[in-house]
Amino acid sequence: MPNFKYTSEFQFDPSDPFGHMQEEFPRRSEFDVVIIGAGPNGLIAGAYLARAGLKVAVVERRFEAGGGLATEENLYPCYSSNPHVLYHMMVDYMPAIRDFELDGPALTWIRPNSQTGMVFEDGSSILLARMANDTKDSIAKYSFKDAVTFGKVVRKWRKIVDDIIAPATYIPPMAPIEITMAMQRTPVGQEMLELGELSPLQLITETFDHDKVRALLLYASCMWGLDPRETGLGFMVPLMIDRAMNKCYCYGGSHKFASALGRQVLKGGGLILEAATVDKILIENGRAVGVHLFHEDRELRAKVVMSTLDPHTTFLDMVGEQHLDAALKESVKGWAWDKWSFNTLHIAANEKPKYRCDDPWIDQAFATVVGIEGVDSLLQHWGNVAKGKLDLNAFGGHSTCESQFDPTLSDRPGKYVSMFQIHAPYDLEGGWLARRDEIQEAILARWRKAAPNLTPENIVSRSMEDPEEIEIRFPHMRRGSIKHGDYRPLQMGYYRPNEHCSSTRTPIEGLYVCGVSTYPGGLVLGGPGYLGANSVAEDLGVKKWWKPTPEMDRYIKTYLS
Amino acid sequence: MSKDERFDVVVIGAGPNGMTTAAYLAKCGLSVCVLEERTECGGACETQEPIPGVRIFPHAMLMYASPAPGFEQLELHKHGFRMNWSPHDVLTENTDFACTDGWRPITDKDKLGWAKLGGLLGTPPFTRDLMRATFWCPPHPPEVEVTDENVPYMQVYKQHQPDIWTHELREMTMLDLLDEHCETEHFKTAMAFAAWASGAAGHWEGVAIPAVTSVQLLTLPNTGNRSIPRGGLHGYFHAIHRAAVSHGAVVRTCCPVDEILIEDGRAVGVRLRETAAMGGRTIRANKAVIAAIDVHQAFLKMVGPRHLDPGVIQKIKDVSLKNQTLYVSVFHTKTPLKLNAKFASHQEAKGIGSGPGRTPQLGVYPCDSREIYYENVADVDGHKGQPVVPAERVMWFHGPPQTFDPTDCQASYKRGYISNAFEVAVTSPDLHKEGEDALDRYKAEMDAYMRKAYSQMVDGLDDANLIHHWSATGRDVEFRNTGLIGGTWCGSRHDEDQLWTNRPIQELARYRTPIEGLYHAHQTSGHPGGLCLMAIPYNLMHILIEDGIAEPGDWWYASPWYIPQHGKISARRG
Repeated sequence: MPNFKYTSEFQFDPSDPFGHMQEEFPRRSEFDVVIIGAGPNGLIAGAYLARAGLKVAVVERRFEAGGGLATEENLYPCYSSNPHVLYHMMVDYMPAIRDFELDGPALTWIRPNSQTGMVFEDGSSILLARMANDTKDSIAKYSFKDAVTFGKVVRKWRKIVDDIIAPATYIPPMAPIEITMAMQRTPVGQEMLELGELSPLQLITETFDHDKVRALLLYASCMWGLDPRETGLGFMVPLMIDRAMNKCYCYGGSHKFASALGRQVLKGGGLILEAATVDKILIENGRAVGVHLFHEDRELRAKVVMSTLDPHTTFLDMVGEQHLDAALKESVKGWAWDKWSFNTLHIAANEKPKYRCDDPWIDQAFATVVGIEGVDSLLQHWGNVAKGKLDLNAFGGHSTCESQFDPTLSDRPGKYVSMFQIHAPYDLEGGWLARRDEIQEAILARWRKAAPNLTPENIVSRSMEDPEEIEIRFPHMRRGSIKHGDYRPLQMGYYRPNEHCSSTRTPIEGLYVCGVSTYPGGLVLGGPGYLGANSVAEDLGVKKWWKPTPEMDRYIKTYLS
Repeated sequence: MSKDERFDVVVIGAGPNGMTTAAYLAKCGLSVCVLEERTECGGACETQEPIPGVRIFPHAMLMYASPAPGFEQLELHKHGFRMNWSPHDVLTENTDFACTDGWRPITDKDKLGWAKLGGLLGTPPFTRDLMRATFWCPPHPPEVEVTDENVPYMQVYKQHQPDIWTHELREMTMLDLLDEHCETEHFKTAMAFAAWASGAAGHWEGVAIPAVTSVQLLTLPNTGNRSIPRGGLHGYFHAIHRAAVSHGAVVRTCCPVDEILIEDGRAVGVRLRETAAMGGRTIRANKAVIAAIDVHQAFLKMVGPRHLDPGVIQKIKDVSLKNQTLYVSVFHTKTPLKLNAKFASHQEAKGIGSGPGRTPQLGVYPCDSREIYYENVADVDGHKGQPVVPAERVMWFHGPPQTFDPTDCQASYKRGYISNAFEVAVTSPDLHKEGEDALDRYKAEMDAYMRKAYSQMVDGLDDANLIHHWSATGRDVEFRNTGLIGGTWCGSRHDEDQLWTNRPIQELARYRTPIEGLYHAHQTSGHPGGLCLMAIPYNLMHILIEDGIAEPGDWWYASPWYIPQHGKISARRG
């Protein structure tokens, strides 16, 4: 001790020199399952397995569970928003929502009819609504033929989603040849295979005539990271458009979804450990046996370790190259990050944006695309982004007034929280830090041009999150990759993250992967966590208390039996 | 229309008190529903990340609760509770205090006096008993006269350190007591200010020991030691939340309550506000409704004048909010803030301070003398307006840097430097002579005042270096977190008139209310007040056992100083 002694009687215990009063979580602990990352997939996997009777710990680096299911007071003080997941697209299909009966008291979904609008400089607009006839009415302003086509095609696409893509999301992936054979069994399956041959751009330009109609549908198809010109993933277009018509808002903010899932983990007897940074997956005799926490020097040992992180973090940083076979190492090193990231401006304002346009429903829309005048301007913007550029005179993005659906985001009465999000490169020419202010002003100017009431006097507070900041908040969203890695044919389906791991099992015994870099991927599908839980339950010989949903049953019967 | 849901107990408010109460009752096997107005549970135990990589604690920041029986009784270690211990210790390090002329050292007499008052010099040390006696014991029942012999902390001193026990001890102020036991004026001033910030001020008669012990909960090496739980106080809250949910408590967020339903003088449930995530539904309580929300909302709005007499209503309206409404700033700068010339050389030479900027530990400035402290108190609680004290003399404190934890996001933040929370006490918005929204209008002015005040000790708050200045006024606080009435942190003054059997008013002491089945459990309404101690729920448990509502298992033990109410079931086992 330094120069002060209490008394000779007061003895310090050298292992606990200050005699701390409260007991803490032990340095060494044992679990059946340790899950790295308390994002939606980690929580879903944890909730299923805890209820199955396994002793589960979900370990989270941040101070709060939820991962992309975040609601943050990023307009501190008093105004919150959803900086990551805002549009919930798989609420209709996600088994976890049904199996845990989350709808009702725990979660309230808001699904506006007015879903995605697009406003143009000349004051015209187009609207994708939940109800197809409202969409057709809006398309008919430009092209009656396209309106008719939309009505027909959207029904076919719905069938593809309902019968195949949505249920398959929660069933382990198949090799391409197996899929091809299975899909031959039905006309819907054959149609889906045909779509796969096309690029999103081909599919949309072949189906629709009018440039503005095409622009809206192409935006909705590719906004989450499909390459408009790449063939092989055309079957994703029906999914993206159907889901763009059925997005839900989680009342109270997306984090409420995470909290509801988290409480299911706890109810099942599981533990969620926040502010716990895993630095190592413990490997003994080629088997994953637990995790080590950085700094606090704690070890959580387990029969099974599940990682929801990106392949680099899981395999190269936490497992270590020495434990990987050559094929796995090569696959992991070849992993490609998202082709673009997002830059989002959040504002709190005295009013919600009022768009200068011909359709009052646009102001009520869940999302409004601003700054895209047609297919060319859209492709040019995305082309710039792919090259690390932002042309501040020609760019677009989508905006949402979150607090029109959710007053809880604003602690001050009568204020509105809104956001404007653009596709943006991680490696921006000139650098994000240097160009932040300029970009923020440009976004605001563009937004204000479309919604003139967003005057400086009306804006109470603002805050911008750039791609580097996505990575700062979520380090495993490397290079701002919200999906932990690109959607491209060789990183989708059976190949996500690679053929060795897409079943959620890995070549390392006891180690499973079930984050968005694993099949079926990102955007809060809840698929990887569900599939991971299934694999672990099967491998540990635990009885599953859950059953496939009726859609999954139907799919299995039609295509897999 | 679905049927009303029914639970044994409905708890309104999922702050630390509501959630701890829920955990205790769920552990007793009762069905419990916790209703929270905000989308996130935690109340004042919250953490925010306003921009990625920057962590802010808008309210509770420090660990006062170390001696709480709740750690054992709820087994929080099993629910993941962990601390981030500071490597520094206020008593064993060569601590200096900041005054207008620079650092001034404290003496062995200061340290010994402080250690003695905190029970560290007893054989064995009796710190835990002293703290538990002061905070973790319900007020004595109304039929028992409170005397020097039966006040719990008096009993503890009498047993373990009889020379501290005097008849004057319950009369004097903390400053009187420090004059007896400690030496330097700056040490006493700093401790008196810290006590003011912890709820019971250094110059209030009758609360010398609550004032001293509340600061000691933070500063003794065997209590909080100015350390924070992993994940901040929200991390501590998470452990409580996990305990509650794993024992079966149902938690509903976005569910503000409009009304406590009272039938035949008995609380039978609550009605939610129409904007609630569940709509304006009714939730029924078979056994009890517990208002873990502020005393104003609970009684003036949710119960209302139909069920309370005007005398009680007036007393509730008069519960004093003069209790540290804080103006809180966090600075984001390009380069780290550095101690200015007056403070730097001495600090560096002694190797004190931490982090890249070597900004000081949790600290207070200026500690010159109690006159400066009185001047500041008068400015906040007397003038009832914007500060009159010049920024050079305003007393402030700043939170501890967490840079000793390399896992903290701030430790690796690459886009500049984030300061500790920097805090100045201001008049509560509700008391402001220019109206409750005055703080909104003065924000720019106050921000400049804050910068100037901090610049008495640090360089780097100039326009060129400052990227962002987050500030939350008491007004913001009231809107963000409606339970923090008046923007206060400890809820309401922890003084003689509002503590122990007088908290919040005699009619409501011991957590019961005039309405059968309705109890209160909030820092504004129950002894011992704020600081996220898990104390109100523990104390309330005694009362719920007395009333036959809670029947805990073997894990329960009552406070040794607790006196059962006449004619009730004793909460003491056996």
